Amino acid sequence: MTAAIIAEQLIKTYRGRSGEVEAVRGVDLHVAAGEVFGFLGPNGAGKSTTVRMLTTLMTITSGTARVAGFDVATQPHETRRRIGVALQEAGLDNRQTGRELLVLQARLFGMGRSESVERAQELLEWVGLIEAADRTVKGYSGGMKRRLDLASALVHEPEVLFLDEPTTGLDPASRLAVWDEVRRINALGTTVFLTTQYLEEADQLCNRIAIIDGGTIVRRGTPSELKDDLRQRLQLDHEPTLDDVFLDATGRSRQRVAGDVQEIHA
Amino acid sequence: MKQSLILGQRALRETLRTPDSLLPTLLIPLFFLVVNVGQAARIFPSAGTDFLKGQNYAAFQLPSSLLVAASFGSAALYLVEEVEGGYFDKLRATPIPRMAIAFGRLYAELVKMLVLGAVMVLMALPFGVRIEGGILGFVALIVVIALWSVVFSGIMQVVALKSRSAAATQSASLVFFPLLFVTPNFVPRHLLTRPMEIAATVNPVTYVMEGARSLILDGFDGPALLRAFVVIAAAGALMTWLTVRTINSYD
Repeated sequence: MTAAIIAEQLIKTYRGRSGEVEAVRGVDLHVAAGEVFGFLGPNGAGKSTTVRMLTTLMTITSGTARVAGFDVATQPHETRRRIGVALQEAGLDNRQTGRELLVLQARLFGMGRSESVERAQELLEWVGLIEAADRTVKGYSGGMKRRLDLASALVHEPEVLFLDEPTTGLDPASRLAVWDEVRRINALGTTVFLTTQYLEEADQLCNRIAIIDGGTIVRRGTPSELKDDLRQRLQLDHEPTLDDVFLDATGRSRQRVAGDVQEIHA
Repeated sequence: MKQSLILGQRALRETLRTPDSLLPTLLIPLFFLVVNVGQAARIFPSAGTDFLKGQNYAAFQLPSSLLVAASFGSAALYLVEEVEGGYFDKLRATPIPRMAIAFGRLYAELVKMLVLGAVMVLMALPFGVRIEGGILGFVALIVVIALWSVVFSGIMQVVALKSRSAAATQSASLVFFPLLFVTPNFVPRHLLTRPMEIAATVNPVTYVMEGARSLILDGFDGPALLRAFVVIAAAGALMTWLTVRTINSYD
């Protein structure tokens, strides 16, 4: 199958206050065209840094990455034409209306004025924001902002869509709405690279996942492969969840307190 | 260029949507003009003060107020707000030259200052200020001030991109105020004390102020105007270089 994303030995180091920080330490990725790939990890594991490198927003210290067939370091413009990006905390211009924001985005991707207006209308209908289209983004709810952010990432019909924690901070109903959008986008043939902290989200949406911890990938496979592996390895008499896989992979254990899961280091 | 214009139109639309944000740019410089003229006009009566060339003291002070207005650009603050909010990354992920993001806001600053500068000069006319250079002098005056506002806003944008902090960007804009007052602000350069004259001579803002002032008091003073445009061009080239370098290496 054609690869949408290939990363080899991706490394990112930068100088922090306490010296050199190695945020990503040799990540290899192979994401097939048309799949929904989940990239999981605890806070600070290197998920967002990896996404920022793959989307040309951050320089790569060493290693190579090709997205949609183009080298992100040497062919950033070609790469950007083929990717859609919706980062953490929907990055939107609050002073524009939803429609203006989409028209602007389309124009920056080279569309003419009337084509941009048409495309914005299509996308507003698609994500169910027609009624709010001419209101400024400032008044949108978190869920509406997420849907608008998704729409803006799709304006140029990208081959690969990067979603960095698309449901963080959303209520359950908005989260389900975003999941539906992701499924619809993927059904149209778009490859989706999704980072999330929600394991249920990965279980619901992703064909394959990779778990990153401390800047390196510690598990990869389909959700069922990872669960089977854990059951066999620990000789469990029940079907483990993706939570169990995650906790095992990242060296964390859990305590159930009044129905909540608290993560603590082993 | 095309992308800068598209982004500039967006910035102008935002300005029109928040007209109250323009009030400080208009009112604070006019406040300076009124206060400075009120304090010094009797010391420098138009009849006995050669450097006023027959005009009143407001004509001499007007360029200072216009330069204060030029230092009120909002481009850097809007930019740092977008950096903090994530929209800057959204724009960086589009296939446009990254400098278009910064230059789009500068295009909006240019248009904004052309309009505000014209309004300020027109407001000064009923108080006895004449533009000796006529209509062309008026246009040249507004262009000088608007171009300087672009240079100043551009340098502030570089601070915004380097610091990624609204507080640091706002503090940096205060650097302009000492520069504005180490100039022939109240009297011509030859009447300043020797140390202040030396300081004003090495301060590039002096030449922008003198060029603008020449259009009001003298008409078209070629050397003064040339010095103003050379300073603007040199500072503009430095600003452009810093902007391109900073935004292209932004990680």
